[in-house]
Amino acid sequence: MKLWMLFIPELYCLLMGVVFFGLAMVARPNPRRDYFVALLLASIGVVVALASVKLEGSLFFEAYRVDLFSQVFKVMLAMGFFLVVCLCTELNGIEERHHPEFYLFLTTCTLAMMMLVSSVELLTIYVALELSSYSLYILVPLRRGYGIDVEAGIKYLMVGATSSAVMLFGLSFLFGVTHTTYVVDIIHVLPNVIGTPAAILGLLLTLCGFFFKLAVFPFHFWAPDVYQGAANQVTAYIASASKVAAVAIIIRMVSLVGGNSQYLVDVLVTLSIASMTLGNLVAIVQKDMKRLLAYSSISHAGYVLIGILSMSPTGYASAIFYALAYLVMNLCCFLVVVKVAQDGSDLKIAQLAGLHRRSPILAMALMLAVFGLAGIPPTIGFTGKFLVFTAAMEKGYITLVIIAMINATISLYYYIMVVKAAYLLEPDVAQPQLAVSVPTKVLTASLVAVMVVFGVFPTYLLEVARAAARMLL
Amino acid sequence: MSSLYTYLFIAALLFSLGIFGVFQRRSLIGMLIAIELMLNAASINFMAFNKFLAPDPIVGQIYTLFIMGIAAAEAAIALSIIVALFRRLRSINIERAQELRG
Repeated sequence: MKLWMLFIPELYCLLMGVVFFGLAMVARPNPRRDYFVALLLASIGVVVALASVKLEGSLFFEAYRVDLFSQVFKVMLAMGFFLVVCLCTELNGIEERHHPEFYLFLTTCTLAMMMLVSSVELLTIYVALELSSYSLYILVPLRRGYGIDVEAGIKYLMVGATSSAVMLFGLSFLFGVTHTTYVVDIIHVLPNVIGTPAAILGLLLTLCGFFFKLAVFPFHFWAPDVYQGAANQVTAYIASASKVAAVAIIIRMVSLVGGNSQYLVDVLVTLSIASMTLGNLVAIVQKDMKRLLAYSSISHAGYVLIGILSMSPTGYASAIFYALAYLVMNLCCFLVVVKVAQDGSDLKIAQLAGLHRRSPILAMALMLAVFGLAGIPPTIGFTGKFLVFTAAMEKGYITLVIIAMINATISLYYYIMVVKAAYLLEPDVAQPQLAVSVPTKVLTASLVAVMVVFGVFPTYLLEVARAAARMLL
Repeated sequence: MSSLYTYLFIAALLFSLGIFGVFQRRSLIGMLIAIELMLNAASINFMAFNKFLAPDPIVGQIYTLFIMGIAAAEAAIALSIIVALFRRLRSINIERAQELRG
């Protein structure tokens, strides 16, 4: 086997980027053509990522490792990209002549995140992270006509640039303490020196950059504004694929300390509790569906951290499983948002009124996705929460689990409000039926099926997640 | 060894100035400059650690080169968005951009 074959998913993404770049050069806009090209390429991308799951090896002077951990996340990213492209049938939020550029930046972002989950060298991690952030900075203000997109874009950029500068400062301390930039070597050195202030400061500052991506508590305040300001499809991408990549890299960085830093655990516990509580409490008062999902994503970042801070293989596996569950549930929610707000506008929760009559299948998908986010069985969200909490219990963090449980109960309130709007409330003015095409119905049904089937029978996915987590140690 | 601490101290000072600037400045250009200060602090750290501690004498310098390149790209994107914001608001004061709330 040739070495370059290890790099196939990324090379394929690069090729997709070149195709969209070419389409962007063509003078006359043609949204249908762009959509079908994107759909075809993205679906092949999923196949390519699936085909390369078993690859193992390292590239670029050991700076880039291809193993089951990275490949599993690459499959998730490729699927996230494909599903977001599926939502682009009516891309009304973005001007027609910008459609190829929209796909181009989605592709570069996916490429960057695929590189992020594979990189095992600090500079590579930094460059990959920045490439993915820059693509998103451009995607957010691409929205047409609502006047809030540029404001959301500049807020996103300023918070992002600040947190990445903080991260870089942390990386410099990690380099100073361990005298190396390779993750493999850091794993050997760092656990011995993690007690020193410089090492713990370096690691915490480094984590800041990734916490920004995941929207964990002190770096969360961009999320609601960006979710609301960006076009619905872009928000779907930020909320799903980009969160998955952030989980991957945080797992990679936290696993560096080898599980023996009580101080780091304390900090992560604090951040996790703060994220959950703040996200859930503020979500209660939201009127805009995307803002509600933003605060819900902040609280979910807290739940994922519970799995990560357990610092055990079970904990990492549960976090990986949770990331996958979150990807599916969130994309299902955004599918409904995109389809109900077909003109590309922001969706108020009140606008969901009477959805069960306008489109029963969308209402059902919304209900299951929202129940999944709330953690109600038999959905995949329940299984994810269960695994995360079990991992924390094994380590004896009972207080943390109890607080998380209380938070899950609080979150039930606003999730139920969404379901109530869709099922029990009637709109003031009678709304027409929503036209849902057959491919959309198939997509919705398969997302729902994934949520329920893997919620009841999680064994297979869990085995994959465990095998992936074993690669870290 | 003491000279390493001099460099670290300068870097920490620059970094704090940068953080302070980001939170205190209301002009977007001012915030951008503050972020550049933070990046430069990280660069100084890399160079200093490299010179005084690391066995391989080139890693820190490569980092600094990369940081400079990436910071340039960042500034380009930031400035383009700032121009777009200026066209809409006729101002680059972040206080004027307050439509998104809640």
